Amino acid sequence: MERKKVYIVCATGIATSTMLRVKIEEFLKDKGIDVVVNQYRVTELAPSRVDADVIVATTGMPDEFAGVVPVINGVPLITGVGEDQTLQEILDTLQAAG
Amino acid sequence: METLLESIGNFLNTLGPMIVLPIVITILGIILGQRPDRAFRSGLLTAVAFVGIFLTVGLLGENVSTIATAFAERTGTGLDIIDIGWPAASALAFGTPVGNVIIPVGIALNIILLLLGLTQTLDIDIWNFWHMAFVGAIVQFVTGSFALALAAAAISLVMALFLADWSASLIQKHFNMPGVSIPHLQSAGYMLLAWPFARVINRISFLKRLQLDPDSIRKRLGVLGEPVVLGLIIGLVLALLAGQAPLDALITAVNIAAVMVLVPRMVAILMEGLTPVADAARNFMTSRFAGRRFHIGLDSAVLIGNPGVIASGLLMVPVEIVLALLLSAVGNRTLPFIDLADGPFVTAMLAPLVGGDVLLTVILGAIVMGIGLIFTTLLAPAVTQMVVQSGVSVDIPAGYATYTVMSDGAIPASYGLYYIFSLPGVAALVVSLIVLVALYFLKGRFSLGGERGED
Repeated sequence: MERKKVYIVCATGIATSTMLRVKIEEFLKDKGIDVVVNQYRVTELAPSRVDADVIVATTGMPDEFAGVVPVINGVPLITGVGEDQTLQEILDTLQAAG
Repeated sequence: METLLESIGNFLNTLGPMIVLPIVITILGIILGQRPDRAFRSGLLTAVAFVGIFLTVGLLGENVSTIATAFAERTGTGLDIIDIGWPAASALAFGTPVGNVIIPVGIALNIILLLLGLTQTLDIDIWNFWHMAFVGAIVQFVTGSFALALAAAAISLVMALFLADWSASLIQKHFNMPGVSIPHLQSAGYMLLAWPFARVINRISFLKRLQLDPDSIRKRLGVLGEPVVLGLIIGLVLALLAGQAPLDALITAVNIAAVMVLVPRMVAILMEGLTPVADAARNFMTSRFAGRRFHIGLDSAVLIGNPGVIASGLLMVPVEIVLALLLSAVGNRTLPFIDLADGPFVTAMLAPLVGGDVLLTVILGAIVMGIGLIFTTLLAPAVTQMVVQSGVSVDIPAGYATYTVMSDGAIPASYGLYYIFSLPGVAALVVSLIVLVALYFLKGRFSLGGERGED
């Protein structure tokens, strides 16, 4: 399977997105998925510049991303409530991307 | 007790963050149930982050302090105190003696308050304990006492928890995030200060009719949301106004763009080191409070994707610059700089006070930061000492450029505790206890977003 691209988006591109990156990278590595993860701040990302198979965001994403790339709510990975389902959703989305 | 604490403080200070923080993180990780090898790796990463942070913050000092002095002199604005920005400040604050121990102390304090039923917030946002460490750093400057600095940091943590309880209901409704509260000392502190003003401007109906459209603002000002571009523009303008030749100015601008990118990268490494511990702490706390009703305390960062918050946050860039210039007449010497990139943290918790209206949010932001700029100026000696003592190699030209942090110097809890702790120790503790009781009363009687409506 080719290398997958994940964008993690938060308010700063530093704090919560780093927490998620640690978890998502570890999870996907365990599943044998070759993945490259980039962190962005929500204010610097425009739909035209997105080159990713999935966006995981810890903050609300502007509507214009809908239809461009699947957006998954990453807050469960911070709170721990629904963490496993969210990780599974990321995996499913990446596998569906072919 | 106090002398014991003082010797601990001195000991921590002598060893420095590159030794102490990794040890604290490793031990804490093991206590919270992490595998020792992973806990050690986390600890080591925090030390590595500090190496990187010291290098990159040094770059900031080198480039900025000279032009800021020249800028202040040539333009006659007197804005010679540089905003080093929260990314650098967060790391430096964790590097202070109070910062070294704030994470275990904070977790323990939160658990005690939950057990006593004094708060409903379970703060899993360990990262933002740096705001309390910052309070500790400036109080250590004013008192010279590690014990009092630690007490002030603990008091600011209780304040953050009380403010989170106070605003929880409104935040949950406005952002549609059930079960969440925001014990973020910065955003929640601004919210408390803005609250009385919000009650006034909500009654001014012609302001409400002006309805700015968040989406068009976001699209037009989007470039201000990119730190690398913002750094280049501001760096260039400052350098030219400071009288540098065009080519030199361009080099300065590129260096400042580099600071905007590099310092946060280093802070991300610190975050990476803290993540497993934060996770372990979360699991430790939530498992002990399973079955009880509480709010999960998160970073205000989770609120920032909201279009109204982004739009008003971007508008804060020109607003903060204009405020700094206008207020130079009444004592402001702060030159807004690195924290210009993070306006949304100013507006995140102001927006719900005015139903998300962009213009009203910006007005509240201007009030909070206007008052804040005076205090970021007054707190500059304390922040400068934090920078100097950290071991960052920065040369501050004699008698001139000093440093401040716009994000945290402007928090009412920061300057409030700074002045409260200028009193003798016992009086300071009594006054801050009264403030805590008042906040407890506030959250009980006047909680936001409850049955009484949002005004």
